[in-house]
Amino acid sequence: MVKFYQHTSSFEHAWDNVTYAFWLRYPNPFASHVIGCDVIDRQVDPVSGVLRTTRLILKQGVLPRWGRGLIKNTDAYIIEESEVNPRTQTMVTRTKNLTHVRVMQVEETQTFTVHPENSKWTQVKTEARIISELKWGLTGRVEAFGINKFMDNSVRARKGMAHILERLRQNAALAASAPATAAAAAAPDC
Amino acid sequence: MSSSIGEKCTQIKQEYDGCFNSWYSEKFLKGDASPQCDDLFFKYKECLLKTLEEKKLDTLLADARKDNPFPASSSTSSASSSSEPNKKN
Repeated sequence: MVKFYQHTSSFEHAWDNVTYAFWLRYPNPFASHVIGCDVIDRQVDPVSGVLRTTRLILKQGVLPRWGRGLIKNTDAYIIEESEVNPRTQTMVTRTKNLTHVRVMQVEETQTFTVHPENSKWTQVKTEARIISELKWGLTGRVEAFGINKFMDNSVRARKGMAHILERLRQNAALAASAPATAAAAAAPDC
Repeated sequence: MSSSIGEKCTQIKQEYDGCFNSWYSEKFLKGDASPQCDDLFFKYKECLLKTLEEKKLDTLLADARKDNPFPASSSTSSASSSSEPNKKN
């Protein structure tokens, strides 16, 4: 069984800053379950100028009681592949879980573009696919859980991004008034 | 800054992240894609590859990366899903 999810939202921040915040987004107070994040590969395509990155993210999973029998180890590895095209001002990210795929596979694609109605804002289109191949009548419950969990996570991810974006805005304001202090205050993340 | 999955790589990772972040915001987004952090990335990756091997994540990653996440035109990628490894950890 497969479930689809689609959502469009926006940030009241410029595209440049939103894509920058994407790299800085861990750690943040809304992602305490993220234990580690590594860059596996990264290169700029010499022809198109597109930056391609592969990251591996380790999350500590939270499972409902009935799920604990299915999964002994709740550490979850996520692969994140992304492309940033500065010429077309488009960033596409795709994430999927590498572990526990037998129980549930979640694939999420996000596209960040300049907002069509306000060039100082950013539009984010999210598409997700949640698949479970479990048998014994658990599939429906797993997928319903998957959808709910995914929505919760989306809300938290959004809050995390908003938190980082606000910090970038504050740093920029600080830099305008006192450049030296701002440079010391800017703390780059993952 | 977030930690590396391999504890011993966290320091070099954060040095690299610092370099990348300034390159991304000050150069790349402004149209200059010339490399700036290659040496740090090389050192970081050297450490990271050992960790991935130790944690037996290298094969898991290699399998996952066989799927092209950004197919050029068509969006049909479900045809080959039967080749997905069905590993049990």
